[in-house]
Amino acid sequence: MQRAISSFALAPAVKVKLINAGFHSAADVCDLQPLHLSKEAGISQEEAEEVLQATRCESNQGRAGVSRLTALELLEREQALGSIVTFCSALDSALGGGLPVGKTSEICGVPGVGKTQLCIQLAVDVQIPVCFGGLGGQVVYIDTEGSFLVQRAVDVARAAVEHCSLLAEDAEQQEALKEFTVETILSNLFLFRCHDYVELLAEACLLPNFLAQHPEVRLVVIDSIACPFRRDFEDLSHRTRLLNGLAQQLIQMATQHSVAVVLTNQMTTKIANCQSKLVPALGESWGHAATQRIILHWEGQRRLASLFKSPTHREVTVPYQITGQGFRDVVLSYPWKTRADFAISSGSACKRPRMEGGGRT
Amino acid sequence: MVFLREGLCPGLSEELVHALRTKDIRTVEDLISSDTEEIAQKCCVSYKALVAVRRVLLAQHAAFPVSGADLYDDLLSSTAILSTGNASLDKLLDSGLYTGELTELVGAPGSGKTQVCFGVAANLSCELKQSVLYIDSSGGLSATRLLQMVKAKTSNMEEQMEALQRIQVSQVFDVFSLLECLHSLKGGGFQQASSGGGTPKVIIVDSITAVLSHILGGKQTEGMSLMMQVAGELRTIAKDLNVAVLVTNHVTRDSNGLPKAGLGLSWSHVPRTRILLQRVEKPGCTQSGLRTATLIKSSRQPCYLTQEFDLSSWGEALDELPGSSGKRKLGDDDL
Repeated sequence: MQRAISSFALAPAVKVKLINAGFHSAADVCDLQPLHLSKEAGISQEEAEEVLQATRCESNQGRAGVSRLTALELLEREQALGSIVTFCSALDSALGGGLPVGKTSEICGVPGVGKTQLCIQLAVDVQIPVCFGGLGGQVVYIDTEGSFLVQRAVDVARAAVEHCSLLAEDAEQQEALKEFTVETILSNLFLFRCHDYVELLAEACLLPNFLAQHPEVRLVVIDSIACPFRRDFEDLSHRTRLLNGLAQQLIQMATQHSVAVVLTNQMTTKIANCQSKLVPALGESWGHAATQRIILHWEGQRRLASLFKSPTHREVTVPYQITGQGFRDVVLSYPWKTRADFAISSGSACKRPRMEGGGRT
Repeated sequence: MVFLREGLCPGLSEELVHALRTKDIRTVEDLISSDTEEIAQKCCVSYKALVAVRRVLLAQHAAFPVSGADLYDDLLSSTAILSTGNASLDKLLDSGLYTGELTELVGAPGSGKTQVCFGVAANLSCELKQSVLYIDSSGGLSATRLLQMVKAKTSNMEEQMEALQRIQVSQVFDVFSLLECLHSLKGGGFQQASSGGGTPKVIIVDSITAVLSHILGGKQTEGMSLMMQVAGELRTIAKDLNVAVLVTNHVTRDSNGLPKAGLGLSWSHVPRTRILLQRVEKPGCTQSGLRTATLIKSSRQPCYLTQEFDLSSWGEALDELPGSSGKRKLGDDDL
């Protein structure tokens, strides 16, 4: 059984020429010289060489391009990759120990509910040294909204360092603490500022190279995916195609480079049966893009995180709060306590709860 | 369109091909559709030789008839019905997944498509001791969850490990690697791939839409051709290797806001059976494992049969992780 020429990753124009010249399967071109093929099919010699390379690699090495493993090997790999803690133990246990590395996660929420705060918290937490149960990794932070505040990152990093110094027991941990400072945390954070969707798509194409050069990176944050894609688009199906393509690129990157990919998304209002409902933006088909989806929302004065879609874990809702130190558990369920913390927090990125939606889809 | 070439069939010599070419007879189609006598005169070649070549070519390109009785015997001896491990779904599918057929699960995000795939994989590898090939294109495959489902079926550690080893995983992220993966199944790669245990009985593709949706539509015509190639490969594999193929697909909304399966009309002819998964929306209780499955295309059962089932019936969702001992770790303690 021969693989058809049209199923190879070649330029469509080249494929049409090959088929018109009578080459239908890989075996038809296999034995030819590039010069001969280019004359027969009316393609340039470079193109002919490309064709031969693609088809020969297939016939010689078989499934070279597609990795295959058993579920048992996958399990070992998953366990070795670990996860990134959020510093909110309720959310961590809902996620099975934190945000999984090697998967994509989407964080959705209304403005001011704490999406960026959670991203900054994760960007710091991924750097916690291995001996403290962290990953000791670096982080790529792609900021599309301009909402990344380095001052806030310093606050969160300082709190994390303090927390680790309280935990340090043995010599190894003491030694690791010398390296784990606010300065090193900031220097291990690579910030990319993308202003529109073209820049973001370009960045997504370049990232695999960057990750290959920086093998320590364990987390890629895109805050937010919605902002560049919610404007400048007249043709919505074009937008959906671009987004789906981007999603596949990100999933591939997460798997191949063992990084956790975190995307944030805005919310929008959907009207169905004369009722309005807040739903994540970018349309329903985007909902398939990320492996798991966490929705952050308000309930009165309380902030809640709901695990909405996950292949691994049960759907649950847990409370959390944003304090001066960062993303934290709700210590006691007194509403005034949460309120007080809310008031004294640095407040830079905290806005009032807004129940109305964001407007455009 | 097959070009006439030397060695295509006995009797088709280089001179003959050349002679035919001078009169613009290049393909098998040209040769067969024109009058043999006329060609023989025009090209000054032997009429006898042409008739012989024509006969061989026709035989090569034609299909053989198979008697219905043989087909039925074949069906009885080779078709297997593989239980999904979930009574409600089995009821919709007329007792399970049929080998040689394509079954499709469609549903919105979080409707449980991936969970059903896991459930099927776990049930087959653990209960029925069959090999499974899981082609993951959406990054949703979690071996941790698979292990948990297997654990719910057997407490024997060795059996659990064996069950996991029977599940082969291929991670593909674009349509070309998917085609390559499917093609390698047709070739000899199948036996090699399943060295762990027997030939896979089920191939799961989760999800087919992830690799196809962004190349479809707009001005790109290639996407459609690639989609039909994927469809063709899946069908051939299902029939030739006698395996059940389970694919997942997304939903879109029609003008009335009702869900319909993604990938358009051309794809809707590909699966033999199609099941729509939906969340059960109950006021006040949004988070539960309850889902409904509706049969929307089937050749065996009346359509629009609906069954309700609980996703957690395949094994309890993970509640506790194996506790890490030794040093105090972050996240274990309250902050």
